[in-house]
Amino acid sequence: MHISDGVLPTAVALGTSAVSAGILLWSLRRTPADDLPKVAVLTSAFFVASLIHLPFGPTSVHLLIPGLVGALLGPSAFLAIALGLVLQCLLFQFGGLTALGANLLMIGLPALLAGLVFYHFKGRTKKQRILVGALCGGGATFFSALILALLLASGGEDFIGVAKLALIAHIPVVLIEAGVSGMVISFLLKVKPELLDIPFVLKEKA
Amino acid sequence: MSGTLQISSLWLLPLLLLPLAVYSGFRVLSGIARKEQGGEDRDWSVPQIEYEGGTTSPVHRWDVRFKLASFLLLAFLVVSLQHPQTALVALIMALFGYRVAAIPWRRGLKRLLGMAGFLSMFLLMLPLTAVRQSTDLVLVFGSIDWLSFNLRGLDLAMLIILRAATVALLMEPLLATAPLPVTLAGLTRMGVPRRLTELLLITHRYLYVFLHEARRMQIGMDVRGFRKSTSLATLRSVGNYVGMLFVRSFERTERVHAAMLARGYQGFWPQPISLHVTPADYLKACGVIGLGLLLVICDQFLVGRF
Repeated sequence: MHISDGVLPTAVALGTSAVSAGILLWSLRRTPADDLPKVAVLTSAFFVASLIHLPFGPTSVHLLIPGLVGALLGPSAFLAIALGLVLQCLLFQFGGLTALGANLLMIGLPALLAGLVFYHFKGRTKKQRILVGALCGGGATFFSALILALLLASGGEDFIGVAKLALIAHIPVVLIEAGVSGMVISFLLKVKPELLDIPFVLKEKA
Repeated sequence: MSGTLQISSLWLLPLLLLPLAVYSGFRVLSGIARKEQGGEDRDWSVPQIEYEGGTTSPVHRWDVRFKLASFLLLAFLVVSLQHPQTALVALIMALFGYRVAAIPWRRGLKRLLGMAGFLSMFLLMLPLTAVRQSTDLVLVFGSIDWLSFNLRGLDLAMLIILRAATVALLMEPLLATAPLPVTLAGLTRMGVPRRLTELLLITHRYLYVFLHEARRMQIGMDVRGFRKSTSLATLRSVGNYVGMLFVRSFERTERVHAAMLARGYQGFWPQPISLHVTPADYLKACGVIGLGLLLVICDQFLVGRF
């Protein structure tokens, strides 16, 4: 779920924009200059993946894949998500112009965290890696939902009901996200395991 | 007006129908937006940030840096409005601006629909969950005491929707009145890191390439009898599908990068775009920002007295 314009108090919108801009510059600096075009091309693929809708009972949810982006790109994930969100705002009006910073924090921070977890707890067997992947996918989505609820609740106590609803609405998304992330990791382990060894952008240094 | 208004529990019926009305309204409008576009694919239709060529307007002729700065400032001014009345005035002004920029209405409609799901959550929830204050007018349905309809909550929801719609309508005159590379060049000259704007351009370009690829893979799955459902099998197929998309994109990434290097890419592209400032640019910027400030001042002082 993307926060649209006009929901957040102006102070929160400005504050989150400033924090996001800071982290974005850090992420940009962490990515080797040579690899920047690659990150951009990969972002397009992530963007397309996020358009896939999955049925869940009577409704359908679309993939968010913050966990997978974090696992595949490491520190560059924040940059990739920033590019994706700007495009979603420009193309679809998913997430407003003034709420870009808030949305970026909401998806980007969990992605960074998921990347960190994914590379620190590698596990010994394939099954363990798949499990960690699923936990990263589900966990990152849950963390996103939590930040969303917090941001919504920053509007005052009137918004607490909406924040709770948003959190509840994310339960199916967390489940599906965990499932798909696990499956994608399992697929990548079979087909191109080198993608998962080291975060994409740190490859040159290792 | 404040206090509690006791009304018959029959009024609950229209309230229950409200979500249904919101939903069917959404379906009808998105049907219109799709028909105008001439396609049926819901999930795949990605509009282009395209320059509506052939037309010209004062917004088209505006220097892109001034346009970006004015609209961004205006957007923040609009979202800080605190009363639905001034927000409504802002929306009317945005509609007027949209008209001046001579952009097809369906593009704006699509933007509004993009937010509909998120915003309807506020419309449906805020009147029921807003915390009751002493000055609120609250509707209570007969003897059902756990449910009350707070009119201040409805006001709040309307305010949010008006603010969001205003900014959404500003986006089209902002983006569709210049080609994307020009807009991004403007951003660069305003201090956004050049790398960032160039990455945005690459991402936007390859988006359509992967969209095409994803659609081809989707067709392949469909002819093999794949139907989505809530099941583990679907989850596995989609996992493989997404994984395949990533593998292909990683491989393509390498090729794209090699091709860029072969053409002499050294981290930056040449920027042949030249921008010229005229007095009219300053005038337009002053006008737009002045209107925004005027709205905020009216919002602070005038409306508060009503």
